[in-house]
Amino acid sequence: MATALVLSSTSARAQVVQFDTAHTLYHESPTRSNMTVYTPGVDLAVTPADWITVRAGYEADIVSGASVATKAGPAYQAVNPGADVITTASVHDVRHAPRGGLTLRKGDVAYTFVYNYGTENDYKSQSIFASARTEAYEHNTQLEISYARNFDLVCDRVQAVNDRPPRFRALEDSNGCFTGSDPTRTRHPLSIDGLQGSWTQAWTPTFATQLLYTAQIVDGFQSSPYRSVIIAQGLKAQEHHPENRARQAIAARANLYVRPLKLAIRITGRAYHDTWDITSGTGEAEVEKYLFEGFRVAARGRYYRQSGALFWSDDYTGGNPPLGPKGQYWTGDRELSPFSSLGIGLRLTYNIQPEPKPGGGTGRFLGIFAGLKLGASADAMQFYYSEYTLAGEELGNARAYILGLNLSALF
Amino acid sequence: MKTLVILLSLSIAGCVTVRPQQRAVLADPIMQFEGDPQANAQLRHAIDNREGSYGGGGVAGGGCGCN
Repeated sequence: MATALVLSSTSARAQVVQFDTAHTLYHESPTRSNMTVYTPGVDLAVTPADWITVRAGYEADIVSGASVATKAGPAYQAVNPGADVITTASVHDVRHAPRGGLTLRKGDVAYTFVYNYGTENDYKSQSIFASARTEAYEHNTQLEISYARNFDLVCDRVQAVNDRPPRFRALEDSNGCFTGSDPTRTRHPLSIDGLQGSWTQAWTPTFATQLLYTAQIVDGFQSSPYRSVIIAQGLKAQEHHPENRARQAIAARANLYVRPLKLAIRITGRAYHDTWDITSGTGEAEVEKYLFEGFRVAARGRYYRQSGALFWSDDYTGGNPPLGPKGQYWTGDRELSPFSSLGIGLRLTYNIQPEPKPGGGTGRFLGIFAGLKLGASADAMQFYYSEYTLAGEELGNARAYILGLNLSALF
Repeated sequence: MKTLVILLSLSIAGCVTVRPQQRAVLADPIMQFEGDPQANAQLRHAIDNREGSYGGGGVAGGGCGCN
């Protein structure tokens, strides 16, 4: 391992260009809906001098499937037996997201600035990101603070002038959303301010911890414009969420290397709360081990549990608690309902580090690579919804599969 | 909790240090918190879109893609 580290350090100093590409495939097919998202991404970083790195990248989300367009609960279904009140709509969209940025270094301090642009048929996004990172106590302590601001636009249907939210109709499709040619389309602003601070500490030669705090303020249109909820007998309305949401999360992570077993154990705990009254806890554990020089295998597990939003109800038309109306807002979003999930995964990583040149300097693999890393992962997540139903029918087969491939090359 | 406070106090005072020649394991990829940032960000993006929570991993934005 020590040899690999020396090589890694040597190549890092000689590094001029780093190319990264990652690909993720997400698939789920629960009752009445399905979703497949393919996310390819590429990044190129150039370090012409020790004090600066310039980056450019691109990522896409290629989305295909069918989502729930009209949500109703068991009380409504009971009053309307025989009627199929749940409807679905096909979803096909591509999000393109180019990005660019740079990192400036002076001594033990590094400043990073990134600009992201995202465009899809029904959503536009621009975001700026800035972070400052410093090291102290002989590099045993790292402190980082970062801020991100999103300036987003969400497409929606133009509603009748005199209509109020209970009469609002959902967006039919994304045609004409950002072309300016369709008078029935409008854009709502959505701004997101995010602040994060982290403290990473090496305690012993084999043990390090990290503490993170994230705060986020979301202001603007946060409903799905396509989703309707049946809120009374014969009354279907576009989903209606509050426009403001303040979110906070604190996470603690620990990395321990167990020398006798030659493996690393990672533990993460996260607590989250927001002003929509969602409280959640996440626990993650990962064990990673070198099987041979440069080749690592990791097994991981994740448990997540959240409470529902204050205005969540599986049926706004009535019924016994917890069913019934919940004030002035309504949602059909299962991510705002109380649920838990359990995930397991496996990751393989192979690092190829060329031998250094006999006379010193960076060696090259295949004559061009100063370093090469390949990674592959597979995860499965099972969701357990305690209240969410589709007109009384529980969401069966709520299982997601996530496959990942990534490659990093140093030149 | 008491142990954590003691460790924190020692660290802030600069008493707890891992010397450079002892950092071989800490510098190894197996001990990095964000070993594959791009792959981790994509996985987090996929999971965030299925949960009501956010944060504790990164603050960069860049779009929705969450139909």
